[in-house]
Amino acid sequence: MQAVIEIAKLSFADAIRNKVAYGVFAFLVALLATASLLASVTMGRTELMVLDLGLGGVSILGNLMAIILTVQSLQQERESRTLYVLMTRLQGRWKYLVGKFLGLAAVLGLQVLVMSLLLAGCIAFFGSIYWLSFVQACVVTLFEVWMVIAIALLFAQSSSLFLAVLLTLSVDVAGRFAFVIRQLGEQSEQLALQWVTQVMYALLPNLDAVNLRSQAGYMDALPWSELLHTTTYAISEIALILMVASLLFERRNLA
Amino acid sequence: MKPLVEMQHARLSVPTGHIFQKRKVILGDVSFSVQQGTSTAYLGTNGAGKTSTFRILCGLVKPDQGRVLFDGEPMSKGLPPKRFGFMPEHPYFYKNLTPQELLEGLGRLSGLQSHGLKKNIQVWAEKLDFEHVLKQRLATCSKGQVQRVGLAQALIHQPDFILLDEPLSGLDPLGRARVRQVIHEEMKRGATVLFSSHILSDAEAMCDQVVVLQQGEVTYSGEIHTLLAQQNRWLIKVRTASDVACLAESSTVFSRDGVQHIRGESLATRDAMIQRILSMRDATLMAVEFEQRTLEDAFMDLLQNRGASDASRD
Repeated sequence: MQAVIEIAKLSFADAIRNKVAYGVFAFLVALLATASLLASVTMGRTELMVLDLGLGGVSILGNLMAIILTVQSLQQERESRTLYVLMTRLQGRWKYLVGKFLGLAAVLGLQVLVMSLLLAGCIAFFGSIYWLSFVQACVVTLFEVWMVIAIALLFAQSSSLFLAVLLTLSVDVAGRFAFVIRQLGEQSEQLALQWVTQVMYALLPNLDAVNLRSQAGYMDALPWSELLHTTTYAISEIALILMVASLLFERRNLA
Repeated sequence: MKPLVEMQHARLSVPTGHIFQKRKVILGDVSFSVQQGTSTAYLGTNGAGKTSTFRILCGLVKPDQGRVLFDGEPMSKGLPPKRFGFMPEHPYFYKNLTPQELLEGLGRLSGLQSHGLKKNIQVWAEKLDFEHVLKQRLATCSKGQVQRVGLAQALIHQPDFILLDEPLSGLDPLGRARVRQVIHEEMKRGATVLFSSHILSDAEAMCDQVVVLQQGEVTYSGEIHTLLAQQNRWLIKVRTASDVACLAESSTVFSRDGVQHIRGESLATRDAMIQRILSMRDATLMAVEFEQRTLEDAFMDLLQNRGASDASRD
């Protein structure tokens, strides 16, 4: 466990100083600009519009930063040969991936927290909302971003940076439509299509399941049991993806 | 002396091409051993397979065939981390971290306790002359400074076996001297060293065993003294107006400051040559010298011999 923590610490220290991590400031600027624009063109309930846009922004920026930071971090470690130095100090390559995940999860967790606080401040400036549901949406967004880190870790092992980003983005987008894909198959009369969509639904991480943005602020908080169910799903999915990534990484020649 | 590390019959090939893949042989049946407490130079031209061998030893790459033994035990996933230190070729590590942060992290990863680690880092930084950049981001350090940090991380946990891929590249003469000194100190401590280098004069000063790799095959493995003694040369200096090239059948002849130099290896040829020169009326024998061959000479000869044997096979 000590090795996992050390890898996490090194990854955190490197990623927190990465320029991509300053995307949070881009979020702040975009948020302030959008909020002032909305305030000038809407008649009342500006806070709800800021909430909608803001939560969407936290999710999109969080996802993008997760993909870029993760893929870049792994590829740079390989190019700089840091990976080799780390590997010779580890017994079991899975420790590297789990440590990497924890380090990046901490960096992105911090960023999602900062972005959520900025958003909360901006909303509070315009009015009041159901704050508990807002907090729940932010927490679930955090789990969504963590799932994307795990997906990126799976694909970041491919030899090209472009391919790794492309694959992660594809799964990220498809994962948001996992439920729609299944419904499409169910409505179809073609057996082959039904089978393909069912397999896709089983394989794709369901990122739509970790999305409470549509109800945040408008209605009361979710029951805690449902929140627990959502977070448990996310944690299981992360564990599963990391296991697959570790199995592949263990067999890979690091040349 | 018993071997600490052994590589037995390692074969490695990599896929080439995109659609119709063939396999290119990188290592073909490589076997050698590194004796405990020695320093071994692993030499070869570019693309000979040195880095691939090191990656197999580290467990980063699995060979198609063959195995690695450490202290007599087979190692399927690389050498034991706490007894082994590795420095890759041209490392540049985490650009956003300082050498202090990097060495602390890697030191703890090697099982060192935080207590004493900072002092240990300071000692290594002073030894390898990078203490003034300890708190500076690695992105702003020079190539040579990063190289020294790379060496420090391989040695900080005092491993039994040290594997260094081109430890001297990118260093100035002073830096190279320091690294040589540090490697000598590590050997005195009892560590076993295996390193690759293209700077053969430094390799000669640092090693007592040599393994020469050519096109994925070991062409020499043994003590450096044996290699150099095998190929000692003589040099005859003679002042004459006559052409001595016809006398020197299997020897090299060149002229320097009006004096003809004849260089050869066989002692019988040398004695015959001296007899002929003494019988020449217009020739004055200036000197007969014994030339200690360098590792570079021996290495070049091994390459040429291999080239000649390949050509005769064709």
